[in-house]
This record gives sequence, structure tokens and C-alpha cells, in this order.
Amino acid sequence: MIKIKTPQELKIMQIGGQMLAETLREVCAHVQPGVSELELDTLADKLIKEKGGEPGFKKVEGYHHSTCISTNEVVVHGIPSAYVLKEGDIIGIDCGVFYQGFHTDMSETVRVGNQKSDEMDKFLRVGKEALEAGIAQAKLGNHVGDISKAIQDIIEVQNGYSVVRSLVGHGVGRELHEDPEVPGYLRGKIEKTPELKEGMVIAVEVIYNMGGPDLAFANNDGWTLQSKDGSLAGLFERTLAITANGPLIITE
Amino acid sequence: MVHQGSMEMEGVVRESLPNTLFRVDLGNGNIVLCHLAGKMRMNFIKILPGDRVRVEMTPYDKTKGRIVFRMK
Repeated sequence: MIKIKTPQELKIMQIGGQMLAETLREVCAHVQPGVSELELDTLADKLIKEKGGEPGFKKVEGYHHSTCISTNEVVVHGIPSAYVLKEGDIIGIDCGVFYQGFHTDMSETVRVGNQKSDEMDKFLRVGKEALEAGIAQAKLGNHVGDISKAIQDIIEVQNGYSVVRSLVGHGVGRELHEDPEVPGYLRGKIEKTPELKEGMVIAVEVIYNMGGPDLAFANNDGWTLQSKDGSLAGLFERTLAITANGPLIITE
Repeated sequence: MVHQGSMEMEGVVRESLPNTLFRVDLGNGNIVLCHLAGKMRMNFIKILPGDRVRVEMTPYDKTKGRIVFRMK
């Protein structure tokens, strides 16, 4: 069931979203060679609490950190470890904030260090473009399939990377994961996917690999998912609301 | 946190239980407890044991599914 949020609820989510955006930007600014994943997680935890929110991921059963840190070939749900970042690593940081009863969810992928690499820069730039294209399609009257098609076009058709099939974006609200599922690839006909209505809040996620789309569990911790062929993975996500004036990015 | 998407599988209905619940055999011996999707109820589509159906399943609970389509 897709839950519609009232304008007051959207305002609450916007405050939480702003906290999350500020936190994530500061954590990304801290990403440097020599910093460990756990330090970034502790920093995010501290910032969220300072701003008056709660780390949303700690509410997920079985998860005890504030962020998911996914380095290099880890696609999602990387548990922050003592691994120290080195020059050239690609790190995906996924974070969530729970504020006054509502969740918000956001992710960003950054390169560690200042080494020039056209291939990496293109990989990350394509992900951001796909996210922006997906968000642009999130308007009244469109379907979830329009967002999915826009993301898949840029990632797979124009640039030859692969959208991960088994992971999807999702609705956000009182629960971290709600209906509808927002895949990054077109599943069936666009008209058969859910229609976007005013007051819906969704987290549009761009999850893609440089190589093939298949994933495998790693590290035997029941969480970490990495690309089956070991290729690098990118992750970008924003929470946004569908309004009469177009998409309203809540995590801004 | 990223959500794992649901997937569709095909199976054969083995038995029908009360309240439009069905035991569906997905192959490899997996028998799953499935309920009938609302859209099928609204359109009065009947399911009998022996029908081939498409089932939507979530990776978070592999023992339950939703019947979304009856094949010819």
C-alpha cells in the first residue's frame, strides 16, 4: 500500500532530510586516504545526534551502525570496519536519519584522494546524471517506470555499465522501506507500474556496476553484497516527494 | 539503506486452503504458502489445484508469496 504524506508530514521529513544532507556532505568532505570506515561511521553518528535526529539505520533489525560504507567492489550494505581508505578507492556512503517519526535515506559515492582518473570520474559522473534524470521524471502523472527507464537509459544504453537488478529504490515514511519499489531498470510496461501521486515520498536509488549486474554475498556477515565479477560499484540516492510543482528533494 | 526487490517465479498450485490461500510448488521441492492478489480477487479469477501460476516473492521471507497471474 502506497502511503500519501500530508503537507505537515512533508515539512517534518524536510527537516530530517536537511539534517541528513548536511551530515552526509560533511562525512564526504572527511573522506581522505588514511581515514578508516569506522571513523566515518562514528562521525556520521555524532553529527546526526548533534543535529537532533536519530540514526535511522540503527532501527533496522540486526544492524548496529549509522551508515553503510561500501568500498570498491562492495555494492551495498557494507558494514563499517577498521579498513583504512587508500588513494584511488571508491567509497559509497549510505546514511539515514529518523526524526519525529519519519525516516529519510540518502547515499553518495566519492573517490578517495586527488589522483586523476578519467575512467573513475566518468563512472561517478554517469551515476549522478542518471540520478538527476530519474528525479526529473518524478512528476505528477508519470509512472515509476518512467524513472526506471531514465536511469537505465543513461547507465546501460548510453554508457555500457550495468544496473543492479536485485536492488531497488523504495517509498520512505514512517518505515524506512515502504511501497512502491522503484527499480533502476524497466520492469514490464511503464503503464503497468504504479502511478506517481501527490504526497508520495520515494527514495530514488541508482545502484550500478562497471561490469555485470550480478551480486554475491561477501564476508559471511549476512549483509555485505559485492559485485560477482569484482567490478567497481556506485551508489547514489535521494529522498524526494512528488508535488504539484514537480519533484521536491527532501534530502537537500 | 538499500532495499532488495521482489521477484516473480512460476509454480504449480498443489492444494487450496481456506481464505484463498494456496500451497504452490515452485520446483526443486520449494512449497510456498501464497495468497491471492487483490487484483485477481476483484476480477473474480478462480484458482484450482493443478493451475500454473506466477508468484511474486520477497527475498525477506522465502516462505510466503502472492499469486499474481494464472497461466493458460
